[in-house]
Amino acid sequence: MDIEEVKQKILEFMEKKAKSKSKIYLKDMQRAIPDAKPMLIKKAANQLVQEGKLEYFSTGSTVMYSLPGQDLEKGMTQE
Amino acid sequence: MSEIKKHDTPMMEELKKGPFPSFVDDIEQYGEKHKKQACFDLLGQLELSYKHKETHWKHGGIVGVFGYGGGVIGRYSDQQDKFPAIWAFHTIRVNQPASKFYHTSALRKLCEMWDHRGSGMTNFHGSTGDIILLGTVTEQLEPVFFDLTHQLKMDLGGSGSNLRTPACCVGKARCEWSCIDTQELCYDLTMTYQDELHRPAFPYKFKFKISGCPNDCVASIARADFSIIGTWIDDIRIDQEAVKAYVGGELKPNAGAHAGRDWGKFDIQKEVIDLCPTQCMYWDGEKLHINNKECNRCMHCINVMPEALRPGTDTGATILMGAKAPILEGAQLSTVIVPFIRLEPPYDELKEIIENVWMFWMEEGKNRERLGELMQRVGLANFVETVKLKHVPQMIKEPRSNPYVFWKEEEVEGGWKRDIKEYRERHPA
Repeated sequence: MDIEEVKQKILEFMEKKAKSKSKIYLKDMQRAIPDAKPMLIKKAANQLVQEGKLEYFSTGSTVMYSLPGQDLEKGMTQE
Repeated sequence: MSEIKKHDTPMMEELKKGPFPSFVDDIEQYGEKHKKQACFDLLGQLELSYKHKETHWKHGGIVGVFGYGGGVIGRYSDQQDKFPAIWAFHTIRVNQPASKFYHTSALRKLCEMWDHRGSGMTNFHGSTGDIILLGTVTEQLEPVFFDLTHQLKMDLGGSGSNLRTPACCVGKARCEWSCIDTQELCYDLTMTYQDELHRPAFPYKFKFKISGCPNDCVASIARADFSIIGTWIDDIRIDQEAVKAYVGGELKPNAGAHAGRDWGKFDIQKEVIDLCPTQCMYWDGEKLHINNKECNRCMHCINVMPEALRPGTDTGATILMGAKAPILEGAQLSTVIVPFIRLEPPYDELKEIIENVWMFWMEEGKNRERLGELMQRVGLANFVETVKLKHVPQMIKEPRSNPYVFWKEEEVEGGWKRDIKEYRERHPA
């Protein structure tokens, strides 16, 4: 699987999840795309951030990923 | 500038009364001098938190500088009407230089920048070791980052699920006991693992801390997922004349550190020999003998008689893993994983171990699971095997007291199916 394909899958997964959760752990992406190597998923997710298609969300102790323009409070109340 | 508004803070006033310098005084003085409303709003919100017995900070958010997943910690006040100056009050972590040596001009520049772009309040240093710049708004983050990197040649530190800023003790720069060049190693690891420092990829935080000798001045054994502690494998160097000088009272024990009170005459038997945890020392009245094979590097004798005893000259480091503070379970100290490793640039052997550990942890670790917790979950024996290391006697306290390595079926001749009757025929009783 090449990196473009992984990026596409990450975005699909994020959009699917966006209905219920605003923020996703890297680990959850890796679980959702078992065919790709975890390191590649990390690289793809970071590239998506560089491209502005994903955003980092940091609590200070943990970092999660979200789609730009999400209502971040939503995830907090529904989780 | 408009007039600053002070809040009524009786409980904060209380904090000024103790015998020690108070942060309340510091913040007030600074706020008055520089006319910073944020300082008084901060004290006002703290007063309110004391009253309500709960925090009024909202934690986290999409703050950060472009391309970085760490280094900025978002803070928002939930009392925006009352304390508008601190409605956004983000913290910035700045990577400190190894061993925290600064030129005063660098500090002055940093403070000037922060007066201009932030609240002006700082922490020197946070627990992880970084410089902490306290309180700024989202719009100032990119300008601060630009100034830091372009003018001050400093970078953001680690926060979030990243490698945290590596920290080291003062090392060979100022300390004769340092067995390894901690600054060199700290700098090398920081530069090698830039990606891990800035772009989150781990299940949770990961800390390197490097101490030059077993005195462990950065407390790596208590705080770091990956502790590197300098040690030696030859004999403790003894200057017998100096030992006699300590016994005779010509030299002050502990280099005079506890001289504030009269503790009586120095008694080598009581204060050194009897306190040796492995009882490997002996004083015959003329000469000090050390059975170096038994020494477990507690450093007590060296600390008490620094002019007479020094660490050996054949040096390297011990690697321990898995310390953490109590969040899920209780606090844990690091466990010895590699008893001795030589550390010379480019540290390839060390980096191989680090990368094996990361690979395993990134694969198997759960969200927000520290390395120490993973080690506990899979068991130390499995962990050691998975990261491609060997079981060694130094991992246990003493034979048969805490064994955790068990034979596997394929390692035992005949497996588990050996016929015990047939065996007993050949070996009765």
